[in-house]
Amino acid sequence: MMPYVNEYDTPDCKTLAETAKKSIRTPESLGLDRCIQCGACTASCPAARFTDYSPRQIVKKVLENDHSVLESEMIWSCFYCYSCNVRCPRNNSPVTIVQVLRQMAINEGIGIEKLGYFLEIGEYLAENGASKVPGAGIKNMERDLGDRWIGMKKNLEFIRSELGLSSRDIRDTHGEVQAILESTGYFEREKWIKAKIQEKKVNGFLKTDCSNNERKSGDFGFESDREYTGQEAFTI
Amino acid sequence: MKAIESIPDRKLLLFKSCMVGQEYPGVETATRYVFDQLGVDYCINDEQSCCTGIGHYTDIFEGLTTTAIAARNFAVARKCGYPNITCLCSTCYAINKEACELLNTNAEVRDKVNSIFREKGFDDLVYEIGDMNPRTNFYHAVEIILSKVGKIQEEKKFDFSGVKAAAHHACHYYKVKYLDVVGSPENPQLIDTIAAACGASPVRWYEDRTLTCGMGFSQLHLNKSTSLQVTKTKLDSLQRAGVELMIHMCPNCHIQYDRYQPVIEKEFGVEYDMVHMNIAQFVALSLGADPYKVCGFQTHSVPLEGFLEKAGIV
Repeated sequence: MMPYVNEYDTPDCKTLAETAKKSIRTPESLGLDRCIQCGACTASCPAARFTDYSPRQIVKKVLENDHSVLESEMIWSCFYCYSCNVRCPRNNSPVTIVQVLRQMAINEGIGIEKLGYFLEIGEYLAENGASKVPGAGIKNMERDLGDRWIGMKKNLEFIRSELGLSSRDIRDTHGEVQAILESTGYFEREKWIKAKIQEKKVNGFLKTDCSNNERKSGDFGFESDREYTGQEAFTI
Repeated sequence: MKAIESIPDRKLLLFKSCMVGQEYPGVETATRYVFDQLGVDYCINDEQSCCTGIGHYTDIFEGLTTTAIAARNFAVARKCGYPNITCLCSTCYAINKEACELLNTNAEVRDKVNSIFREKGFDDLVYEIGDMNPRTNFYHAVEIILSKVGKIQEEKKFDFSGVKAAAHHACHYYKVKYLDVVGSPENPQLIDTIAAACGASPVRWYEDRTLTCGMGFSQLHLNKSTSLQVTKTKLDSLQRAGVELMIHMCPNCHIQYDRYQPVIEKEFGVEYDMVHMNIAQFVALSLGADPYKVCGFQTHSVPLEGFLEKAGIV
């Protein structure tokens, strides 16, 4: 299958760093080249605290133009909380770089099965002008949250009416949202993503269990700090 | 830094939030109640769509779709004469602010979005450079409430003195566009200041104060155990600090703490004493609102009855 490249998020450039800088996901002032590998990002990161995710290492891989970073489970661990964004002393933004890396991985079909869970969001938005937790998420929430929440959800239209709101949160977008999603290529890309997931399923490449992948970056050969010998000293 | 004096109380489009609408509709009605009581001029427009945040941060929507949807919502705000977009959800706030910046600074994206609008005959949606200002047209409802803190203190009908409250400021409010925060992004105090005006005793600093809620968009669904570990870390810290009320400003965090607190208690074998509400619900109560007919506490997972009784509200 031909890749579906999304040119604004992942512009075609010579290096990962150039793509990250040119992408509309990252700020124009992105300080990627100014990164001093201080690790303030990793020190601030909730994912780094509980998994072996490391935004500092990801930025290093990007600067080294090491495409193996796209294969790493690590890029799927970010919470998008932007703690690294606020703390970086060089105005770099690992959180937005990771968003670009995920989009690049998706273009190549890597980790694409993780999106299957959320695809419903686009269709629902086009139809209703609002978003909702996708169906699979609802099932998980029903299991986790139990009768109190299920009862509330059943009663929601009544509760909303009692509060003086419309019984359902549906927006009146005159079909404009649907038309916009068609024109930006969203539906085309969604179709491609679905087909790609199906292709992976058929070929048996798909891991169906996503719940236990917290410590997997090691599978992809990320070096630890101890193995990194550093650059040779420049002697005159 | 955003100056508190610069926060408008006129021509606000109260930007509907999908997660508020589906999980905590009382946050919307409480905000309206508070705005009405404080004499804020706002409107709600059903033509406004979702900001795309949930899809954008689960990597489903690409940047162009998100920007085009934002441009359409900006046109909705301008056309109804209420151009100050005021969000109930911190992700709506960040998405809209970033999209506005992109539309003003990136001609290629702006032209592409406009060509889509023109091709579809949506000429009234076309975005011209500077139609909106990313710094002065976008607010979070908590900022509007903060700007009226003196009036709240004067007009409050119910005083929460003795209530030990902790604020959870939402990441996408103060860590995305961190130069535009009221106060310091390292230690935002918006909720604490408002809570104090209502008589409560805010725990100004607690361990892991700036830690994210743990929802992490796809993380709650794909990496649930890590997600809940993050949430638990902050709940543990609040328990140690003796907090009885945690105050939120974003429905995503609110879901993570209120809905999942009982799940964490069960899965990790712990017990917590705190209840959860949005800052608008808290202020509404203080201004005399009904806990169920206005604040909609019947949709919460952690029951608030004990807290409301103890505080003397019901």
